Amino acid sequence: MSEVAAQVTSVDAEAPVRGVWRSLRRRPLFWACVAALGLLMAIAVAPQLFAGLFGQPDPRLCDLASGSQPPSAAHVFGTDRQGCDVYANVVYGTRASLSVGLLATAVALVIAMVLGTLAGYRGGWADALVARLTDVFLGFPFLLGAVVVLTAIGSRTPVVIALVLAVFIWPTLARLMRASVRAVRDAPYVEAARAMGLGTGRIVGRYVLPNAIGPVLAVATTTVGGVIVAESTLTFLGLGLRAPAISWGLQLANAQATFQTSPHMLVFPGLFLVVTVLATITLGDVLRDTLDPKAR
Amino acid sequence: MSRTRARTKVAAAALGLTFMLTACSGGSGSTSSTGGATNAAPVTLRVQSTDPGYLIPGRNTVAYDFDMAVWAPLTWIDDSGKLTYVAADSVTSDDATTWTITLKKGWTFQDGSPVTAQDYVDSWNTVAYGPNAFENSGQLAHVVGYTDLNPAGGATPTVKEMSGLKVVDDQTFTVTLDGPDGQFPLQLSQGQTAMYPMPKGASADLAAYNKHPIGNGQYEIVGDYAEGETITVKKYADYKGTPGTVDEIAFVPYTDTATAYTDVQAGNLDVAGVGADKLIQAKTDFGDRLYAFKAAGIAYLGLPLYDPRYQDIKVRQAISMAIDRKTINEQIYGGLYSPATAFTPAIELGTPVGLCGELCEFHPDKAKALLAQAGGFSGTMTVYYPGGIGADAFYTAIANQLRQNLGIDAVAQASTDWAEFYQTRLNQKAPGPFFSRWGALYPSQQNHLRAFFVKGGGCDNCVPWYDDQVASLLKTADAQVDADKAAAAYKAAQERILAEFPAVPLFDEAYSYVVSDRVKNLPTSAVGNPTLTQVVMADGS
Repeated sequence: MSEVAAQVTSVDAEAPVRGVWRSLRRRPLFWACVAALGLLMAIAVAPQLFAGLFGQPDPRLCDLASGSQPPSAAHVFGTDRQGCDVYANVVYGTRASLSVGLLATAVALVIAMVLGTLAGYRGGWADALVARLTDVFLGFPFLLGAVVVLTAIGSRTPVVIALVLAVFIWPTLARLMRASVRAVRDAPYVEAARAMGLGTGRIVGRYVLPNAIGPVLAVATTTVGGVIVAESTLTFLGLGLRAPAISWGLQLANAQATFQTSPHMLVFPGLFLVVTVLATITLGDVLRDTLDPKAR
Repeated sequence: MSRTRARTKVAAAALGLTFMLTACSGGSGSTSSTGGATNAAPVTLRVQSTDPGYLIPGRNTVAYDFDMAVWAPLTWIDDSGKLTYVAADSVTSDDATTWTITLKKGWTFQDGSPVTAQDYVDSWNTVAYGPNAFENSGQLAHVVGYTDLNPAGGATPTVKEMSGLKVVDDQTFTVTLDGPDGQFPLQLSQGQTAMYPMPKGASADLAAYNKHPIGNGQYEIVGDYAEGETITVKKYADYKGTPGTVDEIAFVPYTDTATAYTDVQAGNLDVAGVGADKLIQAKTDFGDRLYAFKAAGIAYLGLPLYDPRYQDIKVRQAISMAIDRKTINEQIYGGLYSPATAFTPAIELGTPVGLCGELCEFHPDKAKALLAQAGGFSGTMTVYYPGGIGADAFYTAIANQLRQNLGIDAVAQASTDWAEFYQTRLNQKAPGPFFSRWGALYPSQQNHLRAFFVKGGGCDNCVPWYDDQVASLLKTADAQVDADKAAAAYKAAQERILAEFPAVPLFDEAYSYVVSDRVKNLPTSAVGNPTLTQVVMADGS
């Protein structure tokens, strides 16, 4: 009897994952996003491989006398005000933006999974506590909160910024996680596992989480894009990363003053930012569509 | 004493600020006559301002343009550095310690009362009186008796008048200074507003006087000053000196310089200031309607002399020779600044132009060789500057040049805000070469050399090197009444400074303004702000 039950649950638990994959790989949009993000990740991991493609590999090699030049053969994306190659800078800026986006989302996801699962599975006082906690954090306007915290901290490394952003994005994910966990908590296969006398840890880890995490992952993917935009916004406002760091937000901020005379300084980092954000958000959407049973 | 210093600092900083920010946003309440079809309609010049709060000359921090229109200074220094008398008939002294100021006869305040020596003495006493806490009182700090009105520790003074001021007759008074100072006539010039006179009774109700100030200048205020509203001044008919050119000047308050800038573009405003970070754009937008006035301001690259890596003079000289001032000027400032060639700006009378020689020129090979002789530079050179003041491009360019031309690791790092930067510099905690500039209220080498190289001179730790020899050379120079002798003596002080090279002179600054096409010519004076009273309007405006 117990063996049968186990078999049934394992089928039930893993079916969605396999189904998702089968449906995902048939969608060209999914592959387009993956390709774009894959390329960006490769650039972020090894910018030196890409920066030199057009003969100007060093983002910090700046000749002031040839500053503010429009795109040319020597500088494919032109030069910025300081005479630095815009292409090399955009390539090197990828790492800052992507790492802040991924790190912040990962940290937020971990917090959300722990607290959301606790609230959803345990219920009762844990649920109330987490609910109030998320209320408190959601009460702060996201950007305002980040501005206040970053001003107070002073130090501005990508890790610090990612952590600050994570603090403000986990509540949404936690609520989603809670709702998702609640939905599967009373599913027959979880009840079966419980009836078999499995430990809470095993039940949550083996049966609840894998089935509850789908929608949260989809939203988290979308969040990455939002975080990247937030990082650029903060940096643009002078509250995020600071020179000598290289990031798209910084490039946008510097380009703003001379936008009318030298638009290329704004357009290229802006373009990379848009593509990255679009790719993550679209990927998130595709995932959500696939995971949402009503849409399938 | 510390209060005095603080006030001087505030005033000087504010002057630079106002001169650069003297822009206003258009629209609200500026009742200008456009077209000028009829002779009856008054010609109004609309000028950007910052809502001043205090208009009284002894308190003003951002109302210099207004004060210079409503009051006439005792002396005037024009844009070639030449001193002439305005309200004063003469300012003389035999020993440079006791000065006799004679006023021109027949001058009146805008309420019709005559301007007397007693008015000057009373006004100066009011400004200097400690409990009044006037922002600009530091300008009178060297008058004998100033310390009696400002006892140490903020105690209430027992007297209300400075013993160094004596009225001789209606037209004459004497000023005794705490030491010989040949630069005193320059200290009476247009930028030192604390020296302006107030009519009898003004000090009895300063709040009312601030609302409706009465001066001795070319223009009088129309109505009362109301916070946040345009202040209009009109020509004062009985002014005895050179009359103003336009009928009215409207000071339109703006909170955002960018708005003022676009308002000038749109023709809703006639004069606005332009920050250093917008000069390139302004050149494109305005062409010859962009004015850059040589100002009594100079920027150094301060050096952290408390860091052992900067002890060798060769390192300091190498840093200076690795900076390509000419290219920076062209690319960052649109060619409107001037590379510094001495420790004071060229506009200040007697500045030994070219004193710095090749040390202030771009010689990357020599710089590299000097650095090598000094044993190189270990670690990162962090160029530190205040964030949020639009100086990022400038200091990034300097860091880039140091990195590339010296072959060292150099980066630019901004502080969060001015307060953080100021405190860090004051505490000698700057991580590397740092922002260090001073704008003078009166264009004299004395002002800059004191600010930078005398302890407590104003720009504390802008150059963290206080040398007894320099201090005594400056004292000698201050005591000279004769301009040539003073110039030679200040030069001797500068030579001593050059021998130690404690800071890197970078640029003589320019304060920049854009004007609408109604303005044909915007004149200036030695302090670098526009002389609004002498603006020439285009035909038909």
